[in-house]
Amino acid sequence: MSQFDIIVIGGGLNSLITASILGQSGGEVLLFETRDQVGGLASTSEFAPGFKCNVINDVVKWIDPRVMKQLNLESHGLELHSPDIVRIALDTQGQHIVFHRDPNETAGSIANHSEKDAKVWKQFTEYIDKLTHFLEKLYELTPPKLPNIGLKEAFSMRSMLSPIRKHGTRGLVDFMRVAPMMMPELVDEWFENELLRAAISTAGIHHLSFGPFAAATGLNLLHQHVHSKGVFHNVQFVKGGTSELANAVKLSAESVNVEIRTNSKVCAINVENGVCNGVTLESSETIQADQVVSGLDPRNTFINLVGPSKLNPTFATQLRNIKYRGSTARIHFALNGLPKINGIQEDQMGMIFSASPSIEYLERTSDSVKYGRMAENPYVEFTIPTVINPEFSPVGKHVLSASVQYAPYHLRGMNWSKELKDQLKNNVIQVLENYAPGISSLIESSSVLSPMDLESQFGLTEGNLNHGEMTLDQFMFMRPTISTAQYKSPIENLYLCGPGTHPGGGLHGTNGFNAAREILK
Amino acid sequence: MSTVNKYDAIVIGGGHNGLTAAAYLSRAGKKVLVLERRYILGGAAVTEEIYPGFKFSVCSYVVSLMKPNVMRELMLPKFGLELLPLESTFTPLDNDYLLRTADADQTYREIARHSRKDAETYMRFGPAMGQIGMAVRPILETVAPNAIRPSLSDMGAMKKLLDHFKSLSSEQFEYLTKLMTMSSADFLDEWFEFEPLKASMSASGIIGTFMGPRSPGSAYVMLHHYMGDIDGAFRAWGFQRGGTGAVSMAIARSAEHFGADIMTEASVEKVIVKNGRAVGVALENGDEYCSDIVISGLDPKLTFLKMVDESDLPSDFVTDIKNFRIRGSSGKVNLALDALPNFTCLPGDGHHLRGAISISPSYDHLERAYDDAKYGNFSQEPYMDIILPSVIDPDMAPPGKHVMSCFVQYAPYDIKGGWNDQKREAFGDVVINTIARYAPNIKDIILHRQVLTPADLESIFGLTEGNIFHGELSLQQLFTMRPAVKWADYTTPIKNYYQCGSGTHPGGGITGSPGEMAAKKILGIWS
Amino acid sequence: MSYNNPFTAETQLKLSPFFERTSKLNESQEWRRWSGYLAATQYELTHDNEYFAIRTKAALLDITPLYKYIIEGPDAQRFLDRLVTRNIKICKVGQVMYTPWCDEDGKQIDDGTVQRLSENKFRITSAEPNLEWLDTNAAGMELSVSDDSKTTASLALQGPNSRTILNIIASESLDSLKFFWMTDTHFGDIPVSISRTGYTGDLGYEIWMDPKDALDVWDLLLEKGKPYGITPTGLQALDIARIEAGLILLDIDYISTRHAIIESRKSSPYELGLGWAVKLKKKDFIGKKALAAEQARGPEWEFVGIEIEWNELENHYRKVGLPPRLPGTAWRTSTPLYKGNEQVGYATSGTWSPILKRYIALAHVKAEYAKENTQLDFELKVEHFRKLTPARIVKTPFFDPERKRSCPQ
Repeated sequence: MSQFDIIVIGGGLNSLITASILGQSGGEVLLFETRDQVGGLASTSEFAPGFKCNVINDVVKWIDPRVMKQLNLESHGLELHSPDIVRIALDTQGQHIVFHRDPNETAGSIANHSEKDAKVWKQFTEYIDKLTHFLEKLYELTPPKLPNIGLKEAFSMRSMLSPIRKHGTRGLVDFMRVAPMMMPELVDEWFENELLRAAISTAGIHHLSFGPFAAATGLNLLHQHVHSKGVFHNVQFVKGGTSELANAVKLSAESVNVEIRTNSKVCAINVENGVCNGVTLESSETIQADQVVSGLDPRNTFINLVGPSKLNPTFATQLRNIKYRGSTARIHFALNGLPKINGIQEDQMGMIFSASPSIEYLERTSDSVKYGRMAENPYVEFTIPTVINPEFSPVGKHVLSASVQYAPYHLRGMNWSKELKDQLKNNVIQVLENYAPGISSLIESSSVLSPMDLESQFGLTEGNLNHGEMTLDQFMFMRPTISTAQYKSPIENLYLCGPGTHPGGGLHGTNGFNAAREILK
Repeated sequence: MSTVNKYDAIVIGGGHNGLTAAAYLSRAGKKVLVLERRYILGGAAVTEEIYPGFKFSVCSYVVSLMKPNVMRELMLPKFGLELLPLESTFTPLDNDYLLRTADADQTYREIARHSRKDAETYMRFGPAMGQIGMAVRPILETVAPNAIRPSLSDMGAMKKLLDHFKSLSSEQFEYLTKLMTMSSADFLDEWFEFEPLKASMSASGIIGTFMGPRSPGSAYVMLHHYMGDIDGAFRAWGFQRGGTGAVSMAIARSAEHFGADIMTEASVEKVIVKNGRAVGVALENGDEYCSDIVISGLDPKLTFLKMVDESDLPSDFVTDIKNFRIRGSSGKVNLALDALPNFTCLPGDGHHLRGAISISPSYDHLERAYDDAKYGNFSQEPYMDIILPSVIDPDMAPPGKHVMSCFVQYAPYDIKGGWNDQKREAFGDVVINTIARYAPNIKDIILHRQVLTPADLESIFGLTEGNIFHGELSLQQLFTMRPAVKWADYTTPIKNYYQCGSGTHPGGGITGSPGEMAAKKILGIWS
Repeated sequence: MSYNNPFTAETQLKLSPFFERTSKLNESQEWRRWSGYLAATQYELTHDNEYFAIRTKAALLDITPLYKYIIEGPDAQRFLDRLVTRNIKICKVGQVMYTPWCDEDGKQIDDGTVQRLSENKFRITSAEPNLEWLDTNAAGMELSVSDDSKTTASLALQGPNSRTILNIIASESLDSLKFFWMTDTHFGDIPVSISRTGYTGDLGYEIWMDPKDALDVWDLLLEKGKPYGITPTGLQALDIARIEAGLILLDIDYISTRHAIIESRKSSPYELGLGWAVKLKKKDFIGKKALAAEQARGPEWEFVGIEIEWNELENHYRKVGLPPRLPGTAWRTSTPLYKGNEQVGYATSGTWSPILKRYIALAHVKAEYAKENTQLDFELKVEHFRKLTPARIVKTPFFDPERKRSCPQ
């Protein structure tokens, strides 16, 4: 039986970050990853002979600057590419709206549809940027344990209000007003053009099981734009694939002697009388540690690895009540050529495309979730990673990776069979054909990851990419539960550091950073 | 302008909140005039004899949230307030039914027929929600502070609220947070398993809103409806003897008792604003009345965009009011019946007809109804909250005959192609067809049918877009933001112009609360 | 003497399988609600005979309204051991344990008996429905929880003659059946289980059967028990007996933490005199941490028996010119207890004990006043006026006959 200071379960981005920071402070850290590579949602792999893809995330929306700095990721090989064009909202007639890094250029593209909308675009991006400043500060903090906060805790939260200095209390009020909004409410206040309204709304429904008519899609929209410096729909690509982000963190961790064991599945977190003392591996090896940190989602951590009989009933109920409901599927296509999209030049293809003609289209497709069906006309967001990383495919060939909503984990009267996945794929191809006629003839092979696959391959409960829905009731001091929002669990010496904690999902590393800070306290 | 027409305060709108404000101000010795556009007082809380011998609570039909201190302070029981209990909620299903009554054992047994676990949980749920209702009460009873530039008393009020929240248990705080943010379906899914039960309970989360039970935000509306029963008793809804109009009349009589003047068929055209101050009102017929202050009981859109000129208001405030969401989503069908409806699943005229009848067999039923409305149609199989007032109060209809009140969702104000007579009747037909699915005799017993679409609610009752709450109860339209930030304390950017309708904190329902709190705020400023 | 005034009626309440008989025998037609059932308050016009049947003959009570659950499966023992405060590991097949169970804060949810029917099968009884709590805590365990409330009917036969009667009817002698043990046997060809348990503090048994056999069992008992004074008995008499036995009643003497709403209404087993049933040496169970902490610092409240002293009581009445008024039945109104000017507790149920000739009550008292023989003042209403009269803390059970536990040699 070996003994470590700290065991980290899971080799996703946040786990690696926590491990690395704990390693920096001199702890003897051991990290376990079930799969053969670290990275979790920041993985790149071959899905067809000669074709690679970013399995789940093609892009990074934002990375916590504190992580960049503390782990010195650039020196460990991280290269980010920030394209000038970040997104194109596709139009069947070729009148696409092109979102540039520079809002004035975006306005120019919007002007083709509406002069009125073009005029307020810059103001809108500044408005959103202003509101995200409140989130940025909030995200750096460990949420308080409510409702009983003392003066000390309240004082430590004061930085949350610091953006008021710049934006006034009106800024804070605006933030509180927009966060609970639904998309139509937000866009009604600004824009008239439907393509634009829908394109904005896609940020609100990103990886959610709800449609744009759901309250608090405003919060999800703001969450996508933290640290985006006013660039609406901001994205960054990682040179060499998203996995290189994880690799940079891995290198940083290894530089401080964190031991990383892949192909090692933890099958139990050992708890004796409410105190965690180590883990047991599938190989039935037991390893003791002073502290255990889990980067897995709350259900995997507590229900599956700790076991319900070790949890007090209130906490067990709270855990059961966490909403996961993954509704996003990923489809990767191996193409034997670059698809032609009406009105788009080849050199413009290194960004995100969205097929979102109207808010009603998005809402209708989201209705499928509540009736437990797969969307017939799904919302498709796709990228062609081979434009930026040509090494992903044989020369002259390409990869198209699509995120598809809504493909609910919970289906009624059917399951995620191969037939259903094929059907989903065909639905997606049909959508793509609207914009890139002839694309189906380019497809050599494909790989469909349903939420069920995401669960089984990546250990994501119900296939939820955020380790729990990003809704207002699972936000901040409620994430993952009201009793565990401080990265600590009710089990002594067991901590959480994954996206299931504040401030939620995305490849930003804030969870891991904050968790490490709490553990070191 | 003659001096005869000079009042301390003029209240625009003789709805129950306007009347409440008037009664409070009169009670404090002020000379008050209430001006009502229609021939009858009450606004949305009105009783009318639509068909000879049959009386209807035309719009608002139940009372649950009336503040006890308003009833006492305005001596409403003396002036005719008589609340009869609504004893049960009956949800007919295709081959079965769900019945919840005032008796705990009976309710337990009825729910246990479907789910034993739910029956147990139900006994805990009511008191738990009652506790949350109590926890929220201090917010409802606080004048919403100015969040942009809080005054000293605002700070004091906020400090008091913070201290109050700190006194809650973690469990209560958790429920409260969830109720403020979740969908009613998600919230109820955490407690219950039997879908018709959950659907029927979730329905109070969609009443008056443009949301489905699965829409985040609907749990708050459910809580809003739960605040009535502080003692945790079963859904303490009441039916006013003589219809909801009798509540308004009781308040009106109380106001008159304290010396208020009340005029009907006196439609206000404009508030007279001089040098940024309200000094009186001008009626459509050309009459003018002047007063020290003017209070509007109308919804925010009418109060600010119709009664005064935009140029008298700051532009950001006008934007806020324009952005205020007030989408109407409900209609009302009032029926005069020759006999009682006979439900296939529970025939006869048992106790189940003495309470609410909820057409809410499943979440899907409600969601489909919502989907229709979302995309611009009225629901083909709507959700309904039905009561038979004449079963509770026989005076509502001739002996042996009955009246039936059907609150119907969804009927969007912005229906594709707009509302017209043909659509109104088609809407009436789907309502009758939906009822007939559970009570087939309905078609044979209808003597008269009145269908009110949101467009009718707007034109008859002056409810913008037909919204029964004067503005949606969404999180960003509550408390310090209702109807707009900085002006949530019943004051307005125009000096001496105040607001007291449901579009102000704490929102809609027959509560008397906005009227009371506005009056108390005004009296505070006055002294 | 019989007036033979027959009537028929309908009810919305539940009816036990014995109702066919009990409704006809109920001469007073006085009923109470018990868990949604119509349950006889008393059968005769006064309850005295029924009470004395418990203490001197044999009383037959319909206890079907009790909630009953069957826990079955390989993890059943582990599950119950985690659920309740007593040590279920040492409960042998055929043994019965009385136990409270708590939430994670160590506050009592309910109390009842756990019967070990076989290695992996238990029956647990409770005063309130507990299915949801059982189900919630069964997550991740290999077992099934099923509601046995309607699938098993039960009778209590209590009193000194109970064994004699059962020995006549049952296919096996019950002479060797020890207190808190149970056995399967037959009445003729009717299979029944008999546990030596009860809610009277006397020699007594509870009989568990299939509801379809209910009327046959009832008839058999009444017929064979007649020579031994078997008496259908209602809840009025039972209430007196259970107070004499010092047994608590949910919703009267304490409130389940699941329904308490506010903290001050909740009680721990230590505060209910059930500290003996909390086995802190057990590895882990729900509420252990909180209970261990409470035990270490000592509970804030204790649950005690009090005796209202006779002489002062008599004096109070003599002063107004009346003989002492004693409660004819058990009462359930919370009654204050004082030490000097301070209220230090409250009695939750009390009765005149006909067998002991003492006025007794069960009370919550702040721990520092809970010592035996401490003198407190009990609030008494004499002709509409409140008086204080001395009461003394005494040991419970007030009544504890040898025969309750003993077996014939």
